[in-house]
Amino acid sequence: MTFQPRIVGFLCNWCSYTGADLAGMARSKYASNIRIIPVMCSGRVDPSFVIKAFAEGADGVLISGCHPGDCHYHNGNIAAMRRAPMLGRLLEDYGIDQQRFRLEWISASEGERFATVVNEMTERIRQLGPCRPGGERTERGGELPEVAAKLQKEAS
Amino acid sequence: MTKTDAKIGVYVCQCGTNISGKVDVSAVVEFAKTLSGVAVAREYRFMCSDPGQALVEEDIANDLVDRVVVASCSPLMHESTFRAACERKGLSGYRFTMANIREHCSWVTVGPEDATDKAKALVAGAVRRAGCLEKLERRTVPVRPETLVVGAGIAGIQAALDIADAGHKVYLVEKQSSIGGQMAKFDKTFPTLDCSACILTPKMVQVGRHPNVELLTDASIESVNGYVGNFKVSVKQKSRFVDTAKCTGCGECTAVCPVETPHQFEEGLSRRKAIYRNFPQAVPGSFLIDHPETAPCQAACPIGQDVQGYLALTAEGKLDEAHALIRRTSALPAVCGRVCYHPCESSCKRSAVDDPVAVRHVKRFVLDNSPVPSDLLRPAARTGKLVAIVGSGPAGLAAAHSLALRGHDVMVYERAEQLGGMLRLGIPAYRLPREVLDADIDVIRQLGVSFKTGVDIDGVGLDRLREQYDAVYLATGAHKPAASRVKNDKAQGVVHGIEMLRRANLGEEIDLGPRVAVIGGGNTAIDAARTALRLGASDVRIIYRRSREQMPADDEEVAALEAEGIGIEFLTAPIAVRSKNGRMVGLKLQKMELGEPDDSGRRRPVPVAGSEYVVGFDTALMAIGQKPDTEYAGSRGFTLTRWGTFEINETNCSTNVMGVFAGGDAVRGPASVVEAMGDGQRAAIAIDNMLSGRQLNDGLSAPAKSPEPISEEERLTIRLSNKPRRRIRMPELDPDTRTGSFREVECGYNAALALVEASRCLSCGVCARCRECAKVCQAKAIDYDMADTVREVEVGSVILSTGFKTFDAKRIARYGFGRMPDVLTGLQFERMNSASGATGGHIRTSKGKTPNAVGIIHCVGSRDRNFNNYCSRVCCMYALKFAHLIKEKTGAEVYNFYVDMRCFGKGYEEFYQRLLSEDVRFVRGRVAEVSDFPLNEQEKNRLVIRVEDTLVGDVRRIPVDMVVLASALESQADSSKIGRLFNVSVGKDGFFMEKHPKLAPVSTATDGIYVAGACQSPKDIPDTVAQASAAAAQALSMIGKGHIEIEAAISEIDPERCAGCKVCNELCAFSAISFDLESGISAINEALCKGCGTCAAGCPSAAITARHYTDKQILAEIEGVLNDLSA
Repeated sequence: MTFQPRIVGFLCNWCSYTGADLAGMARSKYASNIRIIPVMCSGRVDPSFVIKAFAEGADGVLISGCHPGDCHYHNGNIAAMRRAPMLGRLLEDYGIDQQRFRLEWISASEGERFATVVNEMTERIRQLGPCRPGGERTERGGELPEVAAKLQKEAS
Repeated sequence: MTKTDAKIGVYVCQCGTNISGKVDVSAVVEFAKTLSGVAVAREYRFMCSDPGQALVEEDIANDLVDRVVVASCSPLMHESTFRAACERKGLSGYRFTMANIREHCSWVTVGPEDATDKAKALVAGAVRRAGCLEKLERRTVPVRPETLVVGAGIAGIQAALDIADAGHKVYLVEKQSSIGGQMAKFDKTFPTLDCSACILTPKMVQVGRHPNVELLTDASIESVNGYVGNFKVSVKQKSRFVDTAKCTGCGECTAVCPVETPHQFEEGLSRRKAIYRNFPQAVPGSFLIDHPETAPCQAACPIGQDVQGYLALTAEGKLDEAHALIRRTSALPAVCGRVCYHPCESSCKRSAVDDPVAVRHVKRFVLDNSPVPSDLLRPAARTGKLVAIVGSGPAGLAAAHSLALRGHDVMVYERAEQLGGMLRLGIPAYRLPREVLDADIDVIRQLGVSFKTGVDIDGVGLDRLREQYDAVYLATGAHKPAASRVKNDKAQGVVHGIEMLRRANLGEEIDLGPRVAVIGGGNTAIDAARTALRLGASDVRIIYRRSREQMPADDEEVAALEAEGIGIEFLTAPIAVRSKNGRMVGLKLQKMELGEPDDSGRRRPVPVAGSEYVVGFDTALMAIGQKPDTEYAGSRGFTLTRWGTFEINETNCSTNVMGVFAGGDAVRGPASVVEAMGDGQRAAIAIDNMLSGRQLNDGLSAPAKSPEPISEEERLTIRLSNKPRRRIRMPELDPDTRTGSFREVECGYNAALALVEASRCLSCGVCARCRECAKVCQAKAIDYDMADTVREVEVGSVILSTGFKTFDAKRIARYGFGRMPDVLTGLQFERMNSASGATGGHIRTSKGKTPNAVGIIHCVGSRDRNFNNYCSRVCCMYALKFAHLIKEKTGAEVYNFYVDMRCFGKGYEEFYQRLLSEDVRFVRGRVAEVSDFPLNEQEKNRLVIRVEDTLVGDVRRIPVDMVVLASALESQADSSKIGRLFNVSVGKDGFFMEKHPKLAPVSTATDGIYVAGACQSPKDIPDTVAQASAAAAQALSMIGKGHIEIEAAISEIDPERCAGCKVCNELCAFSAISFDLESGISAINEALCKGCGTCAAGCPSAAITARHYTDKQILAEIEGVLNDLSA
């Protein structure tokens, strides 16, 4: 049986969640691997939520919000955008391949796009295989203890 | 309450087969029962139905559950339904949550097993979340009874009337100058063939006069603040320049207006004047002046001449009026008509098409050919204040003119024996005949200005002036020649150019010898060289150390010079004068090359080593710059710059000495006539301010920076929309013979040339500010200085009814719109049919003939994947309407080229049947092209429609005389901007998104904002009006309730945990978080918080809780969706 990754999607209530609804209304078929958790704004997504998802066994995490300039709260998505690179780095430190984490802008009218993003992401993660936190070869190192040692060395 | 204490009820909806067709609902229920905290798990066919809701209510009432999870559709659909059900039985609506197993699961998943697994996971997440949900109290806020309606087409008018009739105030905002929107342009409406104006006009009048409606036309939304029930909206109203309260609508103004521009309301089929109204029945009925911006020519002119105004008047042959307009702002118009360096022409947008308008030449023609207007010679009442002006050059004269018009007594002191300063001493007569200068000065004298010549004002003289006069203006110019660095320049034969010009201009005999070198590259050098030629020199050469591009002299002057046979040695500098017995015999010259840029931004000339050579000359005229002679002022405490010029306040021209102002070359160094005049005019305003006890800067702003060059994009637009018509050359005396005398070289236009040249003006500012309309307006309604206004309105709800725009048919080039005049858009054809339109309701080709055959092309820009996928819904029907009108009015053959006929509304299909019986031809197929290339005699001089007739299965060529394009309806170009202002999403086609396509068609995702009409999607008039009334009803229902509950799911800061780092302060886009200096921590203002939770995610101390989306709740949900299934 092919590997069925588990993906958690944090979708903002105004654009992306509605976009996902639209995909439903249009009966667009996409991979069933995503588990959607609504938040009011992509800016609400605390980096710890993403870490938590991986810790609980997720193989991928998607954050999706309104397009820049269209945020229902003016600039919450900008906060999300600015946190993402830091979060990616942090994941690498945990030995999690950054490619498992994705930030997307999907508007309320982009149902088709939502389906495409989920399909793409599922396929990508299927190729990466199950997530083993601390155990993936990442740019910053391999096994978690190794990374920790490396960080310590960098710090001293 | 801990998680284990919770009694969670899980209700899984089958939604008919929508969910149960894919998800094994019973399995989900069984799974839910195994989850921790779940007390009850049930399934039902339709949870949203009354019995479904009753299931929940009963369990709550029986105390079986205290938290509720409904697994069904999207919460955007039914969250409020179930919340209400919970609250009916006393359970907080915030103890309810949903799992979306329809839109996010059953509808999007292929395999039933996958769908069931996903549904289980989503339910597990919701159950975990439910265990952590807390009770929250909603706040209640009052709702303002006022409503804002944006867009006054039929939708806006209808909504406004419904609300106003119910007794509530409405602000109706419209971008255009009159209301009615697109419907006002229609001739007839389908299928009933009612006259559009007849049914719309009464509504427009009603809404215009309604005591509860405040109409804000020419208006746009600037900003929106607040929240449902309490919005603060700022509305900007463009100035109409006509007082709507005073205007009687008589229309006298349009008769005299000289400016014509395409009539947008008539879809460009006719032209209108700059002062206009859209149509006679327009509401408001007042006229308005179209003046989007000051024309670039006027903006560039230092004295702000109404360039466009006198060009427009001249083009109409109104020379007297043009002359009067010119003299309003210019003290020396005849002089400027000859010698101005015309910054107006440099900024003229006509240059994008061919050449700039010859503004200066037209001005000269007006001044030469019309009398000085008599009514300008009546200054205001005398003030009794005395002003002394030192220097009678352009700055001094302009100041004198302005001050005299303001009623002050002015005395001008001049050192020379004759008036005019540099105008007389520096500019040769072949450019500026003396009688022209004298005539301009005479006009100033007639205004009551006194002159004293031959008076040299020194330091003591200046002290005396300050004692005797209320104000002093120093405009002493720059007459002192700059020192040269040429060796041996004291030799006889070396003369300063300006000195030679002064003597020549005063008529002295000068012998320069045959060979004359002129050193320098400015206008003085050119004047000196051309004068030398006229004084009898045979070989005159200009020696300039830089290149042609860097030459400061005017191009026209250089051209005239070259025409007269004077050569210029570029990149050449003199280093020494060769002399014999103290008398010059030649110049030692050196070649130069260009190096690095210097202070002036020009590349510095650098000597080329070893390139020296000697050329024989009898005279060298040094024209390398002049300096002001300000020694008289330096001893009297004036602050001078290092160039010896006066240091003044840029805005009001005041010097550091009280009551003394300065301007012209004495401030700028050698500059131009019109800049000096601008200085004089500016100083006069400041002096008048001082003498009248006002602030010096009243009515003055800092001098304008040089205008932005025309953008490439604008250049292209201008070029495409105007036919080239080259500038008319100024007739000149023959270069071969003219150098024998000081006769004026330029001969002036004749009337025919001047009128044609003036008509080349593109009317960039539309209204030319010629002031003709104000002259005929008996109601005195016209105010050229009227400013835009911004007002704040406070409203409880907003209805967006901003309408649509039509597809730009030029985008389908093969249909020839814009290229072939007989290819019309639907709206153009509406105007052609309208009795008040361009053709008075007659269907005419561009050649004025009644067409024998007309083709109507459907789906232009709609149902076309290259442009818009959607159907515009109204085109089939208005195409049928057109077909009927054409048949009725002309009897012409009518072809409808359609893809599918869509006649869905009440009476629509019947109308189609009627048209079929009226012998209208229907051809099924998308038209390939409209061509004007005939293949046979029959097609000659006609339009040929090439189409595949898909019913016949053949390609046809059908010749017609006119083509009407049923263009698509598109969202307004600024819809996403409006959407952003009001926090309303737009779909991918740019139409506003309703909250739910079926069940909440006029609401939006933002509470209190409603949509109506074609801004939501293309629709016909009946649907639009129905939607408008629906939106009004929504607004009224909220007003009727009087208050509204505000979301309790906002954020709060735990003061115990807050470290006072202020990270959250920056993150909040609504300024809801403020830092309290005293306590050293931040706090959230509940009224402003919108509950996005961005601050909670950013707080380093985890001191912020985003209620209803707490960390705990979300973390629990993450655990649920990932783990409970596998556990």
